[in-house]
Amino acid sequence: MNRRRRLLAGALALSTALGLAACGEEEKAASFDTITVMTRLFGTAPDPNGEMQQAIQKLIGKKLDITWVPNADYGDKLNVTLASNNIPDVLVADEKAPAFVQAATAGAFWDLTGKLDKYPNLKAADERTALNSSINGKIYGIYRVRPVLRSAVMLRKDWLAKLGLQEPQSVDDLYNVAKAFTEQDPDGNGKKDTYGLIIPKWPGNYASSSPYDTIETWFGAPNGWGERNGKLVQGFDTEEFYTANRWLKKWVDEGLVNKDFATLDSANWNDAFVQGKGGIIIDVNVRGTDLSVRMKEKDPKSFDKVTMVGNLKRSDGQKFSLPFTGYNNVLAISKQRVRTEEQLDDVLTTLDKLQSKEGSALLTNGIDGRNYKLEDGKAVLINQDDPAVKVVQNDVDKAFIQIGTRASVGLGQYPFKFPDESTQKLFDLRDTLMNEDLKTAVYNPALPVIAPTLVSKGQTLNLIIPDARLKYLSGQITEEQLRAEVKRWYESGGTEVTQETNDLVSKLPK
Amino acid sequence: MATDLVPGVAPDTPKTARPRAPRVARKNPARRLALLLRHRWLYLMLLPGVAYFLVFKYWPMYGLHIAFKDYIPFLGYSGSPWVGLKHFEELFTGGDFGRLMANTLILALLTIVFVFPAPIVVALLLNEVRVSVLKRSVQSLIYIPHFLSWTIVASLTYLLFSADFGVLAGFINDIVGGQRADYVAQEEWFRPLIILQLLWKQTGWGTIIYLAALASVDQQLYEAARVDGAGRWRQLWHITLPAIRPAIVVMAILTSGNIMDTGFEQIWLMTTSLNRPVSEVFDTYVYYIGITQGGFSYATAVGLFKGVVGVFLIVGSNWLAKRLGQRGLY
Repeated sequence: MNRRRRLLAGALALSTALGLAACGEEEKAASFDTITVMTRLFGTAPDPNGEMQQAIQKLIGKKLDITWVPNADYGDKLNVTLASNNIPDVLVADEKAPAFVQAATAGAFWDLTGKLDKYPNLKAADERTALNSSINGKIYGIYRVRPVLRSAVMLRKDWLAKLGLQEPQSVDDLYNVAKAFTEQDPDGNGKKDTYGLIIPKWPGNYASSSPYDTIETWFGAPNGWGERNGKLVQGFDTEEFYTANRWLKKWVDEGLVNKDFATLDSANWNDAFVQGKGGIIIDVNVRGTDLSVRMKEKDPKSFDKVTMVGNLKRSDGQKFSLPFTGYNNVLAISKQRVRTEEQLDDVLTTLDKLQSKEGSALLTNGIDGRNYKLEDGKAVLINQDDPAVKVVQNDVDKAFIQIGTRASVGLGQYPFKFPDESTQKLFDLRDTLMNEDLKTAVYNPALPVIAPTLVSKGQTLNLIIPDARLKYLSGQITEEQLRAEVKRWYESGGTEVTQETNDLVSKLPK
Repeated sequence: MATDLVPGVAPDTPKTARPRAPRVARKNPARRLALLLRHRWLYLMLLPGVAYFLVFKYWPMYGLHIAFKDYIPFLGYSGSPWVGLKHFEELFTGGDFGRLMANTLILALLTIVFVFPAPIVVALLLNEVRVSVLKRSVQSLIYIPHFLSWTIVASLTYLLFSADFGVLAGFINDIVGGQRADYVAQEEWFRPLIILQLLWKQTGWGTIIYLAALASVDQQLYEAARVDGAGRWRQLWHITLPAIRPAIVVMAILTSGNIMDTGFEQIWLMTTSLNRPVSEVFDTYVYYIGITQGGFSYATAVGLFKGVVGVFLIVGSNWLAKRLGQRGLY
């Protein structure tokens, strides 16, 4: 037997055992001295007795028992946890994942609709985003806010300069840049060994903010769902979708894209850029800073090689920008141990403390005077050579920031001040680009709803389109076959999904 | 042709020699109890094993009934509604079933044709090597890959065969010319790569059991055959092969039970969006539906179906083996 199947067998066995055991178990209404939490992790798990956790526990006056789950495995672990009888009190969850929807609607999590207003730091900063994070209008968790417009294009600045090119403003400009990056030897080594765009295979579903989705939006396709003739249709059922993919296919055919795009793991996305093999990345603007930091690691003397532009115009001058959902997952509160309204109030009050100005700064910036200090209201990193401080910094960046609901948009924490000018400029550029692109943002009107058929059949439906798109781009199927796959989506349950989504959206509060 | 030519693999002792309780004992309760008491230590030693199987193998099977329910963990087993055969209907009528079945069977067939005989051939070849040092070192070298995890094997495959930086892909391209093929992304290369990986990883390990069987062949048989004028091929055909035939049959029956088991990890790691139509098999599908997408009931239904087919296959092949005059598994 192998590990994965054992995991499945084990999960089933465990759920059996626990399911039986649960019947006789009655939790006493106790006050919460310890709150159990499960959340995402991007590095190594922090020490429960480490400085950061101590500081947070001191602030909220309670103990935290945190299960840190590596980001890549989070979806799996969430499903297994939901199947067990050991759901943490507070859980970071993708509130649209079928297993979560089923659990929440069956009553496994607190319905927080209308309950958050009395907690100043948990109250939704934006009603629309709160609605987007709901399950058909019911709020089952406190959304973790993120900037609404994060899509951007990162480019090799030094390559542009060497070839005498301007920063692209339209999709045609981008094509020309990619062509020049491929054919005109931007790294000057005399060999034709570079290419334009770097894209990885995308782990997510259709309309999950992939580079493919971004490009389709530029061409005017809806962001997920969009209105056509008074009805909501899926973005992939529009001509703009095909136009965009035809355009991108040309890039692939001409070798302007990394050859292994269909198999490149997104964990290795940066490598080709930093190694000087490719020169364009379409992703969230945070990647710009990320790339700049990596460039600096590689060459501390001359690393000012990254620039960034926002969403691009279509050939006819019209511009459409891809906004994100404005949040990333929610903090849901389990009913398993948090049984009464008083207990819920206790947990929410604690979370409110955690998300206060002070708490947000702690979760996002770290410990004042230990790993950062304030300078004109901005956080400047200090003592970074001290190994103990490095641990604190890592715990913040890779772990604790994930239990904050107000991180990364300046609602609570202090903005960063970078030690070098170019990274700072790139960081500041984000806001400018975002405010500009917000004017042309294409919103997804169906975000607050989830069709019942998608909950029951999403497993088989969700892969059809992203797989077909990749196959079309890599030349394994023709456009006719791509259209046939869209038809297959409708036949496998998509027709019901479309009908239900339309119905549900029409019932939403306007 | 009888196996009793080979003492090592025919441990059947004459029936009269085996100590047996008189037949009447079974009918008499008092005698039965006495028998139980006489062998009490044996029964005591049996207990942990029985407990292990009950707790870890049989009790979990209780959970299989969620295949007939719309299982929602929060509601538990008792709270989730019964839905009868809904999930099975969905599986058999859904668009995925034919593809899953075909992929699973094709991979199984390829495994039987290419991977199953490989250790036999290698074991026979090694058996002919007379230089003991060479024989042993080759044997050790070829079973080392068995200890590498599938993750490493898959990573190696990507490193060697991917379009952008694959060393072997580049090498093949230099020889054959033309457009550089992306072996790890293309549907038609999926099965050959899987079989190659299996051969590389498992052949050496598989030879161990056959070499053990070969080691027990009575050397006098070969001497006698040589005296009678048999050459190497004759000896192989009339002595060596019959000697390891029981081992081959047992291995074949065991393999047949695993026909539906294509090996989860290997397939999962080699699956990409581009080869999914040929790579998705029952094992990966169950994992994808159950764990990744949280469709517990549906995944259980698929798993149950797979398990039932596996039982039928193993019972069937055992029956077939007996029918053909071989000693079966039980």
